[in-house]
Amino acid sequence: MTTRSATPEQLIAHAKHAVERARAAGADVADACLESSRAFTVSVLGGDIETLKQSGTLGLGVRAIVGGAVGFCSGTDLSAPGIDDLARRAVALARFATPDPANGAPTLEEAGPEEPGLAESMKLFDPAAMELSPEAKIDMALELERAALAADPRIKRTDGASVSSSSGAFAIANSHGVSRSWEGTSVSAWVVALADDQGGKQQTGVYGMTKRHLADLPAMEGLGREASRRALARIGARTVPTQRVPVIMHPDIAATWIAQMYDAFTGESVLRRSSWLTGKLGQKVASALVTLIDDGALAGGLGTSPYDSEGLRTRRNVHLQDGVLQQFAYDHYSARRAGVSPTANGVRGFASTPGTGYHNLYVAAGHTSANEILRGVTKGFYYDDQGSFGYNPVTGDYSFQAQGFWVENGEMQFPVDGVTVAGNSLEMLQHIVAVGSDLDFRTSVACPTLLIEAMTVSGS
Amino acid sequence: MPANPAPPDLTRLVPRELVAELLGIARSSGASFADVYAEHTVFTAFSFDEGRIKAASYSVLNGVGIRALAGEKTGYAYADGFAANDLREAARVAARVARDGVARAAPQAFRVSEAPAPFTLAHPAPIELDETRCADMVRRADASARSHDARIKEVSVSLATSAKSFVIADSDGQWAEDRTYLSRLVVSALALDGDERQEGFAAAGGQVELEYYLRDRTPEALATEAAASAVLLLSAREPEGGSYPVVVCNGWGGVMVHECFGHSMEGDTIRKGSSIRAVQKGQQVAAKGVTIVDSGLIANSRGSFRIDDEGTPAQRTVLVEDGVLVGYMWDKLNAALTGNTPTGNGRRASYRDYPLCRMTNTYIEPGPHDPQALIASVERGLYCKKLGGGSVSPADGNFSFQVTEAWQIEKGKLTHPVRNATLAGNGNDAMLKIDGVGNDLAIDGTTGSCGKDGQWKPVGVGQPTVRFTGITVGGTAL
Repeated sequence: MTTRSATPEQLIAHAKHAVERARAAGADVADACLESSRAFTVSVLGGDIETLKQSGTLGLGVRAIVGGAVGFCSGTDLSAPGIDDLARRAVALARFATPDPANGAPTLEEAGPEEPGLAESMKLFDPAAMELSPEAKIDMALELERAALAADPRIKRTDGASVSSSSGAFAIANSHGVSRSWEGTSVSAWVVALADDQGGKQQTGVYGMTKRHLADLPAMEGLGREASRRALARIGARTVPTQRVPVIMHPDIAATWIAQMYDAFTGESVLRRSSWLTGKLGQKVASALVTLIDDGALAGGLGTSPYDSEGLRTRRNVHLQDGVLQQFAYDHYSARRAGVSPTANGVRGFASTPGTGYHNLYVAAGHTSANEILRGVTKGFYYDDQGSFGYNPVTGDYSFQAQGFWVENGEMQFPVDGVTVAGNSLEMLQHIVAVGSDLDFRTSVACPTLLIEAMTVSGS
Repeated sequence: MPANPAPPDLTRLVPRELVAELLGIARSSGASFADVYAEHTVFTAFSFDEGRIKAASYSVLNGVGIRALAGEKTGYAYADGFAANDLREAARVAARVARDGVARAAPQAFRVSEAPAPFTLAHPAPIELDETRCADMVRRADASARSHDARIKEVSVSLATSAKSFVIADSDGQWAEDRTYLSRLVVSALALDGDERQEGFAAAGGQVELEYYLRDRTPEALATEAAASAVLLLSAREPEGGSYPVVVCNGWGGVMVHECFGHSMEGDTIRKGSSIRAVQKGQQVAAKGVTIVDSGLIANSRGSFRIDDEGTPAQRTVLVEDGVLVGYMWDKLNAALTGNTPTGNGRRASYRDYPLCRMTNTYIEPGPHDPQALIASVERGLYCKKLGGGSVSPADGNFSFQVTEAWQIEKGKLTHPVRNATLAGNGNDAMLKIDGVGNDLAIDGTTGSCGKDGQWKPVGVGQPTVRFTGITVGGTAL
């Protein structure tokens, strides 16, 4: 069984070939993006294997710019005629798009020289993760589920435990001569614990994480125990009367919120005036406690890559420094539109044209421990789980179904569900009165515990 | 050149002899069942924003997924493309889920499934919409939205199509093929007025004919709807937080029954006991007068098909009859393990995924009430006119969805528009809180996509206007 994706060298060769074919078909500027990945996922349930799944993908996207207009094609046929067909179609499609002088691709001058050893220095690839056998993953997943079940007799079943590992390679080449490639691995473990509540109701506890290195994944026992703790803590949850109170955001909720807000920090949204931060560059838009960073070069980060997906060297962008809006994020196109330097936030997969996206997005850790934050709240809501929808990207309005705990006199009193938490992101940012010291990356977005001075909790 | 060419004949790319060989390999270690799913899909898209067509795109997704079942266990592997050796390797990987080592025979011959089609398209939009027409449609939508109101400052339009053909063959000797043609036109309009900004949306689509965009849902009609919504929201108020009566619109309002009820009726959660519904058959789970159905047969809906992704013909399945739970939805695996019959709910996002038990078009049947009377009966409450996305946690039942455009009801009258309301509750009792079902059933099969275990699948949702006694409404006003 092949466990490794295609090598970066193989991908680059295909990418250069595709660029050359697009140029030959009539593209003024062309780029080609290749992605290869190999993943194996094990899911267990009730002490036995539920699914074993192997995924293997190798795809190519060709972008052709003709007279300033973009045509794009993608597919998985990497034979010479297959690549030629995609390249010619991309050129033919460009005729139907609108010419825009900002369309282009980074030049060698903009991209700078390729830095040997850069990818290695960022610790993206772990041979141990790649070589983790299906049998080892089965054992890990079984251990993870056992740990969740063993944590407490009230945990009678799980909704499954899964362990997955993957390796992937990415390559980008353009007709200005820029070509970049790298590879990385990831390994993840997740479990859903179910606790019996009254009246046939169940409470769920979800926990897990994804890391690039196998050694960074903690022991399965701890992950399983945490999932069970989360489920058990919710037993007997009830609603509370509608009121305006301080809200403590658990790191999971805070991280989701900053990822939702990211769109407002992109130049793309500012250019089309759909960002609620439009016109606020240089202004203090958040509490002085808040520093928001996107670091594409963070060593070992899940969102780290040596270059962005257009070939520009990644870096650390500070969007909010002590609450002041420092800069927006740009891909190559939106930077040209705005007349600024790109921030290396070009993001794409092989099947899409570039857009703007974050790498490793986080709020810098503060100096207050999460426990101190809790102890300082006389009456409020500790908010640690939510529904999926409720953020309005244009206004920043925020309104989510929420679960958590009622807090009085610095202590959690009882679990809460059947409520919503609402506010506006700009006001919420300005009213952050404490930032925890508990910054911990479990995915590519992380945020410490936050205390927001007041939000509306709606219930009975 | 058409925007989306007619799909190729898949039986030429994956001949029956090869499929039989793959099924044999997949069962070489003792798997009780195996299936092979081959797919060729072409996606096209025109994206328009800031007065320009940003890109015209064309993408091909094709390959084969192979599944082997051994008791409750699933082995799955896929390969992009149709190279025979890649497919054999995928079959070998899938086979490893079984361990008793007794090889089972491959089917000697296939019988071709002849299920009738619930509807057919004479001129599917994906085939008929050539590039010139697509470019014209997105431009017309832009011009129309901008001319609606001077406060409309930005317009985004996307026109996307897909043409998919697939073959599903299994170790029981079934062979079935089908083609589906989806298209969707989405317009969003941004309204600016001083420091206020609001966005309005409108979408149309489904498995429709070209005519649909020329007559029923023109770019102009969608643009006007999106622009009007954005402008209306500029003057809307924040919702009052709390728990009070709510009337939910017909059509897309059915996203609520999808989230807070439908997911808990899917066969996988029933078999595993992770759904509260597993022990409620025969019990009163919704108010009297409420009948809930899942049907893959609704004409022109995204959620409909002739055969599901396991080859089972689409059908109408009654889940709740007059408030009583009478049936569940089943895919092949979960049906076989529980002694039930598959109901045409085995669906997968693509050949890269194994089938899951999924809804098709899920809706509440019409009741006796005039929808206006349902609103008029509310002393103080909320009328939800346009809904956004929704989600549920199936095991604990907590659900929520976004209401993008609502109206305050005061003394039975709609008084002013309300924005950014989120409705939240628990699926365990939400359907019991229905106290009025309208006579205006509409099934919206134009734009819905449902996510489950990382797989996105087109669905339809529907209901008549429905009144709830009390739902928690999230808002900032007290």
